Amino acid sequence: MKLNKRYLRNIKENLPFYLSASILTAVGLVLFFLFYIAGTGISAFGEKFFAENKVEDASFTTYIEIPDDKLAELENNYNATLEKERYVNQKEDGFTARVFVPNGKIDLYEIKEGRSIENADEILISAGYAEENGVAVGREKMVLRGKEYTVVGTFLRPDYLYMLENMTDDYKNVTTFFLAYMDEGEFTSVFGAGSYNYKVVYHDHNRIADFRKAVNADYYVSSYLSADNNARITFVDGQAQMFILAAWVMLVMLPFVTVALISIMIGRKIRSEQKVIGTLSALGYTKKRLTLHYSLFAVIPGLIGGVLTSVLALILAKPFGSLGLADYEPFAPEFTLPVWIALAGVAVPTLIYWLCGILKIGKLLKRDTVELLGNKVGNDGKAKKILARKKAKVKVKMAVRSLAANPGRSLVVFLGVFLGAVIVAFAFSFIDSVKAVGEQAHGEFGSFKYEYILNTLEDGNPSDGEAVLVAPFESKDGKRFSVMGVDGDNTLWNLTTQSGNRADTENGWYMSSLCAAIFGLEEGDEFTFVSIASLEEKTVRINGIIKNGYQNYIVSSRENAAEIAGLAATKYNAVLSDRELAIDGSSVMEIISDTTYETQMDNMLRSMSGMVYAMMIIGGVVCVAALYAVINLMVSENASSISMLKVLGMEDRRINSMIISANHLLLIPGIAVGILAAYGGMAWYSSAFVDVENLIIPATLKWSSVLITIAATSVCYFVSLLLVRRKVGKTDMVESLKDNRE
Amino acid sequence: MFIEVNHAKKQYGKGEAAVFALDDANFSLEKGKICVILGPSGSGKSTLLNMIGGLDSLDGGEVVIDGRNITKLNKKELTAYRKQSVGFVFQFYNLIADLTVEENVQVVAEIAETPLDTDEILSALDIEKYRYRFPKELSGGQQQRVAIARAMVKNPKLLLCDELTGALDTKSSRSVLTFIEKINREYGTTILIITHNEAIAGIADQVVRIRDGRIASKEENANKISAKDLVL
Ligand SMILES: Nc1ncnc2c1ncn2[C@@H]1O[C@H](COP(=O)(O)OP(=O)(O)O)[C@@H](O)[C@H]1O
Ligand SMILES: [Mg+2]
Repeated sequence: MKLNKRYLRNIKENLPFYLSASILTAVGLVLFFLFYIAGTGISAFGEKFFAENKVEDASFTTYIEIPDDKLAELENNYNATLEKERYVNQKEDGFTARVFVPNGKIDLYEIKEGRSIENADEILISAGYAEENGVAVGREKMVLRGKEYTVVGTFLRPDYLYMLENMTDDYKNVTTFFLAYMDEGEFTSVFGAGSYNYKVVYHDHNRIADFRKAVNADYYVSSYLSADNNARITFVDGQAQMFILAAWVMLVMLPFVTVALISIMIGRKIRSEQKVIGTLSALGYTKKRLTLHYSLFAVIPGLIGGVLTSVLALILAKPFGSLGLADYEPFAPEFTLPVWIALAGVAVPTLIYWLCGILKIGKLLKRDTVELLGNKVGNDGKAKKILARKKAKVKVKMAVRSLAANPGRSLVVFLGVFLGAVIVAFAFSFIDSVKAVGEQAHGEFGSFKYEYILNTLEDGNPSDGEAVLVAPFESKDGKRFSVMGVDGDNTLWNLTTQSGNRADTENGWYMSSLCAAIFGLEEGDEFTFVSIASLEEKTVRINGIIKNGYQNYIVSSRENAAEIAGLAATKYNAVLSDRELAIDGSSVMEIISDTTYETQMDNMLRSMSGMVYAMMIIGGVVCVAALYAVINLMVSENASSISMLKVLGMEDRRINSMIISANHLLLIPGIAVGILAAYGGMAWYSSAFVDVENLIIPATLKWSSVLITIAATSVCYFVSLLLVRRKVGKTDMVESLKDNRE
Repeated sequence: MFIEVNHAKKQYGKGEAAVFALDDANFSLEKGKICVILGPSGSGKSTLLNMIGGLDSLDGGEVVIDGRNITKLNKKELTAYRKQSVGFVFQFYNLIADLTVEENVQVVAEIAETPLDTDEILSALDIEKYRYRFPKELSGGQQQRVAIARAMVKNPKLLLCDELTGALDTKSSRSVLTFIEKINREYGTTILIITHNEAIAGIADQVVRIRDGRIASKEENANKISAKDLVL
């Protein structure tokens, strides 16, 4: 007997199953490949770009300028590379430009389009802004401080691949903010000295602490930000790693439904062929050989899915890759798929399916040959006798029993609905939560409309607004946060503790909930941290937590904060106000307004919407594919009942609803659990990635989103029913009655 | 005549491989009679029954039931015809495994226009004591009685039985046929039984023999006996 020909015939006979299983496999694999390609592509690009363009290890500022010869001395003494970088923030009508003099040693730039500066009236601008705003390179002129410059090129820069305007921002700004390079002489003539900071690359990591202490001793460090705390730099690899994680989650999660489907399918195949199997084993086919033969049916969807995936991956790699790049400056990483990953991607689900096939067959082949020959296996019919004596609609009783008697099949229906709902709801929850950040964040900051962060230390009290002292510090493991001081009668900064009282800042320290989450601290705990300047340790006791999931700070009175920061008690460097103040622009480092967050979150949603919608479509496909396969199976399994009901004059519609409506019972739980899981997933994501995101995302799912999820999932569900509906119509009464036995 | 089949033709396949399942078959039956159609396997019995029951369409000729030509009905009308007028029983009982005896009958009662009382039909077939059992818990003969109850609950004018004892032992066969007889007696249902088992002809009012798709003979049964006396 030639067993091999049977594979092809089986595919033909069970086309819906193989189709769905292959599509489900391919969707899982494509997502795996694409996330993997995007993740590794971005990560590799970042690594190479950072190395080639000498990304900084840290940047810092000092109260006393370091003379050039001393820079060289520090370089030698501490085995480091140092460079002073000159820049200015130039606010114009409609945009802000951060104009730099090009560096020679650290944070170099790479031309993306056009050419370098050759004349004084030429500038380069960052590529993201140019692309977003359609700046015509080589022709377009821009006015900076009243002087016109031609944009001759665009560039990328390693410490600005993620274009945060301010370090406190939560999303890039390429609509109204860009970097620019200008000829050094021109810069000096237009902006004078400008601002400056120092960039450092360490070649000996054991000497970092000594270096920092030495610099502070002589020049007084006013700020220090290591690359590890610099979201503009860490975000590149951070997001890449998240993509890679997502890839593996997809690879493990999505074949799950297919596995359930396959095990049902194989079980059915074997039950329907038990006579053949009995005969074959009576003829002397070994169990091993039979197991191999039947388990290979399970491998088919893995292989077809694999091939389908290669095609899809080829088509989708580019558009999807660019979705993954939405947050960055427009760099073009090489998206490659290593052969071993491609093979592993195909092999993992295939192996899982095969294993599942072998297990299922092993169980069935344990039965006697005689039992098999007598067609007795699998007709045990347990767990069906529910509601036998209860008064209820026959249709409902049938539905309940049919679900209970076919747990595998029910599971697939449930999973199909669940996956559809969970993916759609998660996508919505993501949108809702990000929107919630935009809407709620400022309220948690306080009731001020503007916060002016100054680049100078002021003394006493401002003529207008409320004074705040903000000083950056680091935890002992190098994570940054702020120490803040506010006046006791401050009205504009949110000082309501989680227990609902006003924080007694005059007599103790309070911590933002973000800070508490990041460092794992609670009310009453002691918090030890170090000065970014002297690296000296400080310890405070936390009297309470203030709900603020967006800012990482501890707060007390101005005196207390000043003491920790080593400043006079009357110093301040930020002003809060409930209206716009006329503060000299050159002394303002950053302005946070009550719309800053909303704008950032809107931008984030805009650039991520492609990925979110892609997810929703994938959710729909998974849902329809799983349901279509299993409901099709259900109709085949019930072919004899269906024909009999037809023969007895029941209309197709009624039969359809009798046989298939069992699944309706799973629709609501599937959707409900899906929505809960999506919300739970969002809540988990929000707490697990507090560190990466640097904010506590308020997990949100609006009622409207819940309703849309329910509607969308139900539509997918009924679409799959509709696809199967024809099958009932096509069931030939005479044919299926001929050879069907109970 | 209650049933009239005139010049019925049914062909399967084409050309060399063509099989004439019915080849100019003519047949008629009076209302309220039991007719047994005999013939070897493949002679066209099932095809004839399916035509009368409105399951399949003819290639030629016509079937008239109670004065109504069903050959001309469309799919929807045929469904309605089957629903109102015809009960079917097959060799394999085709009961819905997920439903109890009672529920199997109820499902069909629900679609009928003038159904019989479910309890009545269950007791008529002596299966009311199994009403909460599932098909798998019953013997073949008991299952076939449920199948008859299911077909009869619609109170059809015509009951069509295709090899209804084909899978049963002699004792169960006799019992099932006793109930068929009872139905004919109590409800006046016209009953057509097709079988290759000559012995069953004993309970018929009329016996028809079919061979190669043609009616070979048709005779009244002068020696009609009770089913319980059948020697199977
Ligand atoms: N669907 C079909 N396709 C092809 N041939 C068929 C089909 N149904 C019946 N036949 C053929 O028609 C003939 C009569 O069949 P049938 O009416 O089932 O006979 P019986 O019931 O007397 O055994 C047989 O030769 C059978 O092979
Ligand atoms: Mg037959």
